[in-house]
Amino acid sequence: MTTVSAKPVRTTARPPRPAPLWRRLVRTGTFRTLGPFVPVIALWWLVAALEVFPESFFVGPPEVVDKLGELLEKGILPGYLSDSLTRLGYGVGFGLLIGLPLGYAVAMLPRLRRFCWPILLFFQAIADIAWLPIVIVWFGFSLTSVTFVLVYTIVFPLMLSVVAGVEQVPRELIRAARSLGAGRWRVFLEVIVPGALPSVAGGIRTGLGYGWRALVAAEIIVGTSGVGFMMFDARRVGDISQVFLGMAVLGALWYALDALILAPFERATVERWGMVRRLEADG
Amino acid sequence: MTAQSVKPGARRVGPALWFVGPLAVLVAVWAVAVAAAGTPMRVFPQVGDVAAAIGDMASSGDLFRHLGASLRRMGLGIVLALVTALPFGIALGSSRLLSAFFAPLLRFSVALAGIAWIPVATLWFGYGDRAVIFIVWNAMFFALTYNAMLGVRQIPLQLLRAARSMGTSRTRMFTEVLLPGALPSIVTGLRVGLGYGWRGLVAAEIIASDAGLGYALFQAQKYFRTDVIIASMVIIGVLWLLMDRLLLAPLERRTVQRWGMTGVGR
Amino acid sequence: MTALEISGLRKTYTDDYSGEEVTAIDEVSFGVEKGEFVSVLGPSGCGKTTVLNIVAGFVDLSGGTVVVDGRPVAGPGPDRGVVFQSHALFPWKTAYGNVVFGLRMRGVPRTERDERAREYLDLVGLGGFEHRYPHELSGGMQQRLGVARVLANEPAVMLMDEPFASIDAQTRRKLQEDLTRIFESRRPTVFFVTHDVDEAVFLSDRVVVLSGRPSRVRDIVEVPLSRPRRWDEALALPAFRATANRVNELLAGDEDDAGHLDAVS
Repeated sequence: MTTVSAKPVRTTARPPRPAPLWRRLVRTGTFRTLGPFVPVIALWWLVAALEVFPESFFVGPPEVVDKLGELLEKGILPGYLSDSLTRLGYGVGFGLLIGLPLGYAVAMLPRLRRFCWPILLFFQAIADIAWLPIVIVWFGFSLTSVTFVLVYTIVFPLMLSVVAGVEQVPRELIRAARSLGAGRWRVFLEVIVPGALPSVAGGIRTGLGYGWRALVAAEIIVGTSGVGFMMFDARRVGDISQVFLGMAVLGALWYALDALILAPFERATVERWGMVRRLEADG
Repeated sequence: MTAQSVKPGARRVGPALWFVGPLAVLVAVWAVAVAAAGTPMRVFPQVGDVAAAIGDMASSGDLFRHLGASLRRMGLGIVLALVTALPFGIALGSSRLLSAFFAPLLRFSVALAGIAWIPVATLWFGYGDRAVIFIVWNAMFFALTYNAMLGVRQIPLQLLRAARSMGTSRTRMFTEVLLPGALPSIVTGLRVGLGYGWRGLVAAEIIASDAGLGYALFQAQKYFRTDVIIASMVIIGVLWLLMDRLLLAPLERRTVQRWGMTGVGR
Repeated sequence: MTALEISGLRKTYTDDYSGEEVTAIDEVSFGVEKGEFVSVLGPSGCGKTTVLNIVAGFVDLSGGTVVVDGRPVAGPGPDRGVVFQSHALFPWKTAYGNVVFGLRMRGVPRTERDERAREYLDLVGLGGFEHRYPHELSGGMQQRLGVARVLANEPAVMLMDEPFASIDAQTRRKLQEDLTRIFESRRPTVFFVTHDVDEAVFLSDRVVVLSGRPSRVRDIVEVPLSRPRRWDEALALPAFRATANRVNELLAGDEDDAGHLDAVS
């Protein structure tokens, strides 16, 4: 999600005459978000039905829906899905618990920050997936290995974004707090922590984006269970509809994660405070 | 007059030292810790082992084979992504309707881009080069398109009107106004896309290739060669830092920062 | 009684590029009495904001003394509340949250806090807006909130750093009258930095005119206008024009000295 610093936005008075129903429908967020998927799915269907590509390479929506029903019935999909979500949950949870305090500590102590900055950059530069082999050497093909890589993917972008966020807190806000009688600790809690939040929220998004990918890759490579494993297992036996289903599930899951957790959090904080504005491309 | 005693050269050495210094300390701590704990090689290698591994890889030619394979795939993927995504994104951005339509689709695709396509890619292209290049392209394409589109939408209307009122032709509009105007956002997209692409490359090489750094990494894991694993990881880290320093940072300095436009949503 | 006493204030710094020692403020001395409104006026680029930053404790002085309520200044503190040009309101706190901030920092009990917050929000005309976040307020309202936030803390002196410079001309007049009204009803001690001559004369009891770099006190002008003051009345008074002319002359003298013409903006 791309955001920019907001300028004060004044809402303009709407004329009292109600717009036609279809117009009001088009204006709703749900329609704007989900509407564009309808023609795309229709196009997908059409391309599959016309057999532009061989059926073993490309299947249409009905096959994927059939597969969904089949895997739901067998209980395979729910099981794999909960495996993936559990791993993601552990990874994100520990990632936040480690990354936030460390990030703020590094950001607040200039000497520590100067020392740690290149180390942070270097560890961020070692693409998280590259840790998987050594982690497998340590922990075997296990849940621990997957979680380790996930935590890693989240901690580093998070720490970097906390440091950047703390740097972006306007100096005048800190001065204002000090001249109203706030001590260093209160300045930290009341000004620096919330002031860095726009950047931190961005860091959580980046971290989740990487973590999400790392999870899929780790599940393919470690190969015991999970949605990533399901897709690659299907690929091995040439079950293209199950591969497509896996991708659809991953996409839907990301959407749910965004709609149910990330977006509400941002709406309640940085957007509510007018610090960032959701940037829609239709603006 | 203490400030005057600082020579111009010393000003450049300072930051470099502050970059290398902490990393050197880290390596020293590593050497001491492994020696003190007596950690066996199959768990964690000593600094010397890793250096030796890099030396062996270099002398046997494996290093350059893997490095070459990875860099070629990454380079091709980047070029393909730039060539396809930028015109597409800018075209979408110049229409309000198109950008409103494509925005949710692109956001969805960005979330899915890269690694999740590996199973399909190997099915479509088989194992090997083409699948890996497809993954790199795919990982970058959507983030680049989306940000190019957003970038064009963010160009102030007055700027577009000013350009039009001076009789700018359509092609000129693209090269002189839309592309540079969208650049802050495009650079952001490039950063995000490269991050996904780089990770996609490593994952795809582990899963679907018989050459490249990812492949070398995973082969070493099979034989518990931690020295080769760590050596490959260091190479991957250094390559990314080089990419950042030599590609992204100069691009930002020469364009966005030089023009006094700050990056968007970094 | 003197609330703020500045004597022999000097500020020097080392230029980053040339490495030379530059004197920004040279031997500035003046005092502000309790309940007095004093403006500091000077050509753009002179050290007037630096003087304020030193009084606020944001910037260290190089020589001289700054004494507030009998105590020498060391670092920022609640006895010197600052109203910033950029408002510097906390975006994550409501109008109410911003006003009670200082009281919370000083451990004022909740009921008293509540009462005082309401009192000062009403005083600046923001009663009913306590649950709005700063970005939901207009520029003028944001700046009035900045004033309420400082006054609620009851500082020994309120420091104002060109608070109306970024506000449009009409609203600025209105805000200046609001500030005068608040000043006349509460009589806080105010130290006001500006580059606008009319604003300084209209608001102040005395105007300290600084010279260009290095800043020295050129003169201190008494404003012979009675209170309450209103813009339409003030503009019609010969004393207002005469004082403004006197201040302008002092600033213009600076132009002759320095040989450039960008002194008054």
